[in-house]
Amino acid sequence: MIRHIIRKEFTDIVRDGRFRWCSILVGALLLVALGHGWVQARNAQQEHAAAQATARDHWETQGEKNPHSAAHYGIYAFKPRLALSFVDEGVDPYTGTSVWLEAHRQNDFLLRPAQDATAAQRIGVLTAAQVLQHLVPLLIILLTFGAFAGERERGTLRQLLASGIGRRELAAGKALGVSGALALMLVPAALVGAAALVVGSPGPAASPLARGVVLAGVYLAYFTVFLALSLAVSAWARSARTALVILLGVWVVNGLVAPRVAVDLSKWLHPTPSAIEFARTIEREMASGAGDISPPDRDASTERLLAEYGVEQVEDLPINAVGVYLQESEEFGNRIFDRNYSALWDTFERQGVVHETLAVAAPLLAVRTLSMGLAGTDVEQHRHFATAAETYRRDLMRRMNGDMAENSRTGDFSYAADAELWESVPPLQYAAPTLGWVLGNRILSLLVLGTWLVGTVLVAAARVRRAEVG
Amino acid sequence: MQTTESRAGHTPLLEARGLSKDYGDTRALDSLDLAIAPGEVYCLLGPNGAGKTTTINLFLGFVVPSGGQALVSGLDVSTHDRETKQQLAYIPEQVMLYRNLSGLENLEYFAALGGRGSLGRERLADILVKAGLERDAVGRRVSDYSKGMRQKVGIAIAMAKEAAVLLLDEPTSGLDPKASNEFSALVERLRERGVAVLMATHDLFRAKDTGTRVGIMRYGRLVTELSTDEIGHADLERIYLEHMHD
Repeated sequence: MIRHIIRKEFTDIVRDGRFRWCSILVGALLLVALGHGWVQARNAQQEHAAAQATARDHWETQGEKNPHSAAHYGIYAFKPRLALSFVDEGVDPYTGTSVWLEAHRQNDFLLRPAQDATAAQRIGVLTAAQVLQHLVPLLIILLTFGAFAGERERGTLRQLLASGIGRRELAAGKALGVSGALALMLVPAALVGAAALVVGSPGPAASPLARGVVLAGVYLAYFTVFLALSLAVSAWARSARTALVILLGVWVVNGLVAPRVAVDLSKWLHPTPSAIEFARTIEREMASGAGDISPPDRDASTERLLAEYGVEQVEDLPINAVGVYLQESEEFGNRIFDRNYSALWDTFERQGVVHETLAVAAPLLAVRTLSMGLAGTDVEQHRHFATAAETYRRDLMRRMNGDMAENSRTGDFSYAADAELWESVPPLQYAAPTLGWVLGNRILSLLVLGTWLVGTVLVAAARVRRAEVG
Repeated sequence: MQTTESRAGHTPLLEARGLSKDYGDTRALDSLDLAIAPGEVYCLLGPNGAGKTTTINLFLGFVVPSGGQALVSGLDVSTHDRETKQQLAYIPEQVMLYRNLSGLENLEYFAALGGRGSLGRERLADILVKAGLERDAVGRRVSDYSKGMRQKVGIAIAMAKEAAVLLLDEPTSGLDPKASNEFSALVERLRERGVAVLMATHDLFRAKDTGTRVGIMRYGRLVTELSTDEIGHADLERIYLEHMHD
């Protein structure tokens, strides 16, 4: 019996001119956003790859010079765009895409697309994730607000229920009919997305297809939440207009109010320093240390080396004491950076937990977090790359200072290394996090979304069972 | 007044036993006893608020009785919702259909929900024509239909379902005399086929003409019951008005 309801609902919706226009509009936006995102991601990936190759070439062909000068010369590292970043660009426009790796400093990321965007561009950017997170739920609301309330108002609910159909069967049939109509719009978009992923993945990612499948599952769960919620409200509301007003209110809170509240509340609960404050703190601590972290004492370092090698003059040391001291300075700096950046990242993480927790009031917050995570564009994966880049920088500095210490003597400023040393430094090989790592970081969002899913389905079942005939 | 056996002597298809319904402090239906056999058309007359629609709603299981039982083919509606509805067809004052679907598609849908999904489109189209719809209207979208045409689709739904019981709630209200006559003729044909009909109406003329029995309700109570064979139109009007005075 339920298949008749599904078929009727599907036919009814598809014949409705309002649905046709809305779905054409949303479908077109989705396809354009996917296509535009893919092209942008591919171009960015190609530009980054070319820039990375140029940076490497510059490094290898920098000529003969002291290794510590080479450490100051430095090298750029470019954050790769992961395969699914064309679906959801997440925080990438705000976090930057490249970092200059040099001696003594853990630099901020550069090249933030949002910095270069004009005001019009900032307003006009529409990603596939935004279409899926905002417009598809709106379409679901418009298709289902009258599922019960509209039937009741028209008087068809009496006739339907008089025919022997149960309320739950009717609700299930309507939900599946609406799903079928939505599938007309979403399945082609999903196929285009999958094809873009398989045929021309714009960037690397661990298990991109698995991430894509989970991402599709997350959005399906999100749509089901809205479908169930709409059916519940429609079954409960006295009129279709009331149901529509309530559901639009939910949509506004979910899509506009909750994200704003989450940002403000998380910043209020876990404030972060401004960029200038942060830089000044590091500068101050680099000059005088912080807590139990003290700047290296050059005299003490020299004394230790003299004792270690059993000589009395630095000129008699078989190594360059300056190189050793520079490395000690690096390690001191590293501890200062770790202390400050860890605190900063941890604050971002706590802010993220606030967002995830507030998802109990707005499922969008859970979906957005999961979407960015699976697309590889969230703060955690930015941190993952930043950590990898910083580890690489430290290794690079260790190699340069080590070479200087081992191959020259204290006071010998003429020592110069050549391309052999530069080429011996392996390029940065970044391995993106696995799907398990991403999901492990997002347990809270998964739980909250799961609770929304089960909760709304149960509420819908209960409300539908008690739906008045009118 | 019989409760277990109707006046026609058959086991009743539709039966109310001490059926009552309260809405808060208001008693909408008070201990109704009623039995309608196959081939009977029972017309419930009464002013607004007399309990006619409440009675129909109780037989449809749309409201839960405060007391007594509503039975369809001997089955209690409260405990056998699906089974009893399979035997019922319901035509309200305004048969509301899906505007984006044709008359045929509407019939196809409701017939399928009523367990008659196996009927082919040609058969269903014939049923619509038998119900009085013109052949060229069968495939047109219902948004173009008049009220009379929609009522005919309602009858067609009942015919396709081959329901044993027909519940009619002011079915001719707002129809022009010609359409009302056509509707009454269709009900008469169903009656001849052994369908038990319960019709709530304000229309004394139609009740006398279409019904085999008439019950007059007031304040939720069945105050009198008459056989239409034994009275004329004027008698019915006089008796009705007598009962409407305090």
